[in-house]
Amino acid sequence: MVVRQYNEELKYLEKINPHCWKIKKGFQPNMNVEGVFYVNSTLEKLMLDELRNSCRPGMTGGFLPGVKQIANVAALPGIVGRSVGLPDIHSGYGFAIGNMAAFDTSNPKSIVSPGGVGFDINCGVRLLRTNLHEKDVQPIKEQLAQSLFDHIPVGVGSKGIIPMNARDLEEALEMGMDWSLREGYVWAEDKEHCEEYGRMLNADPSKVSLRAKKRGLPQLGTLGAGNHYAEIQVVDEIYDKFAAGKMGLERIGQVCVMIHSGSRGFGHQVATDALVQMEKAMKRDQIDVNDRQLACARINSVEGQDYLKAMAAASNFAWVNRSSMTFLTRQAFSKQFKLAPDDLDMHVIYDVSHNVAKIEEHIVDGKVKTLLVHRKGSTRAFPPHHPLIPVDYQLTGQPVLIGGSMGTCSYVLTGTHQGMTETFGSTCHGAGRALSRAKSRRNIDYKDVLSKLEGMGISIRVASPKLVMEEAPESYKNVTDVVNTCHAAGISKKTVKLRPIAVIKG
Amino acid sequence: MNNIFKLKLTALGHPNPVGFNSEDEKEYRSVVLWLEDQKIRHYKIEEREGLRNIESDKWKDAYNTYQRDLVSPVVEGTLNEQLNWLLSYAVRLEYADNVTKYKDVKVEQPKQSAPNVVSSNPLDNLDFDSPAFKAGVERICALTGVGPHSDPKVRLSAVAKILKTAPHPDFPKNEFNMVQQPVDVLKLLFIQDLRELQTKINEALVAVQTVTADPRTDTSLGKVGR
Repeated sequence: MVVRQYNEELKYLEKINPHCWKIKKGFQPNMNVEGVFYVNSTLEKLMLDELRNSCRPGMTGGFLPGVKQIANVAALPGIVGRSVGLPDIHSGYGFAIGNMAAFDTSNPKSIVSPGGVGFDINCGVRLLRTNLHEKDVQPIKEQLAQSLFDHIPVGVGSKGIIPMNARDLEEALEMGMDWSLREGYVWAEDKEHCEEYGRMLNADPSKVSLRAKKRGLPQLGTLGAGNHYAEIQVVDEIYDKFAAGKMGLERIGQVCVMIHSGSRGFGHQVATDALVQMEKAMKRDQIDVNDRQLACARINSVEGQDYLKAMAAASNFAWVNRSSMTFLTRQAFSKQFKLAPDDLDMHVIYDVSHNVAKIEEHIVDGKVKTLLVHRKGSTRAFPPHHPLIPVDYQLTGQPVLIGGSMGTCSYVLTGTHQGMTETFGSTCHGAGRALSRAKSRRNIDYKDVLSKLEGMGISIRVASPKLVMEEAPESYKNVTDVVNTCHAAGISKKTVKLRPIAVIKG
Repeated sequence: MNNIFKLKLTALGHPNPVGFNSEDEKEYRSVVLWLEDQKIRHYKIEEREGLRNIESDKWKDAYNTYQRDLVSPVVEGTLNEQLNWLLSYAVRLEYADNVTKYKDVKVEQPKQSAPNVVSSNPLDNLDFDSPAFKAGVERICALTGVGPHSDPKVRLSAVAKILKTAPHPDFPKNEFNMVQQPVDVLKLLFIQDLRELQTKINEALVAVQTVTADPRTDTSLGKVGR
């Protein structure tokens, strides 16, 4: 890493408009393209403070600041356009979380990097609507939260209640949500309203280690720990009545359920296995990167292809996982209200992935190109009329589900044409961490966090209360800042704001 | 029916095909007589007496006998059906008498007789040689920068190729609505088609589910983590 004074570093950064900064070439060595990041004044301060801290003498080790990570990604072989940092960006393994980058598949040197996807492969958010009103739910909120907690196992080491054997898992890895559909856990309409229709076709379970499968098998249908959660939310504000109507969100107070989860230990193992393979491939193909954590392999190499096939299987795992939890949520509601899920209108509004790499077509310098788009902590946000979004959202643009931190609000956005041209149809994914987990544990008391949530009228069920402070709102950036920045920058559009009334988490 | 009668009478060379009214008993009878006298000539002249007495009450009997003699399949039918068959029979005889004259005749406007339902898609009926088509192609070629070619169809396929592979060209402000509005309509029609297709797909999936689905849960497997 280049070591310079903070003032020197600033010369490489240029504010090109109130919500966007450019990172010029030379900020880090060998940058093939420029970097860019989106912020408002509050987030801008966080970004620059992080950089200033890293410039202090003696600050070595640990994660690089987000801006540096964006620039390192811009130095990867085959990258096109710009290395994009979204407003919720924070340091991660290799790639910052909230960094998207696209690589030209027609360039033989282009790479795929597990660090650009993240360890929780196809972590994502799914939103279910209901026809209930807040006043229907408030009186039995506690029972409902308990019922969800009983149906959906949470926490580290939790095990699911949907019986599965090894053969079922193999099929699920290959078929994704089609498996859930075949077995009757979800509705046909759920598949229609899911990114990629809930199935990556290039998945190949034979490229997944036995270890990953062993870790994954008992975990299907479990929420996991960390920042994952299931929340009962109510519509708090509607910004775009037309788009909200298309999603079936018609009125303030309407009850929804948000599920935020991923591929659990399965995805983690796939990523870990791949990193080992990639180190070998880098030596062989003489791929130079600025940061050891940016381990990667050429897209067309055996290692690159094996990773993409295993990653697709992990993505399918995550969709089956969220589908199983959809089934369990419907059961929990159905029991409480003594009505069929159909009668409660419990449709999936949409399901987004925010840790994934996908082959997509984009226009680069006036030409259509096939790119491998890495989105790590970044959500796809395709504009109206894009062929890959469901027919119901052709006029509004793709729904983008932004889960807030625990106890704060969440948002539904839609994709825009401007986002398509500026960020390869990508936007933010959530609040984004401000404090590290260790720092949160040191600075915040879990009892304070729980009593604060209680004070806000939010029912909460947690498996491990002592980890709650890691997820306290204070540990995160303000999701409203993040979302407003994306809206003001034009890379996505605000549709609906949701407020939690009950949370279950690991 | 009157229209068919008119066409057939014209074909047979009847002196007043346009004015003929089949509802008028007298006119009806005289056309039947005219057909026998001039075209069918099934009876000898003296045998046609019964038909010739148009004013007589016995004409109907003579007409029935006449039809039976011709082996008409619609003797029991309505008067119009009976006349129609007679007219067709006469046309057939006329054709048979002059096969060499008629066999090469081509129908000039086949669409005239059929209702115009088939061509509801205007694109099917595009006249590629019309000046309007050529002028339209000229205009989009100017907008997309496609060079000249003698065949407008070749230029049109070049335009299609450009639109498929490159970002759409910006239209001049004054042209914007003229281009945008039809494009919007096409997009909406497309979305409607897509919705129908998706609904059919969902129905197929649900049909399969009735055979394959068996969702189960086993709470004894569940375990809450730390």
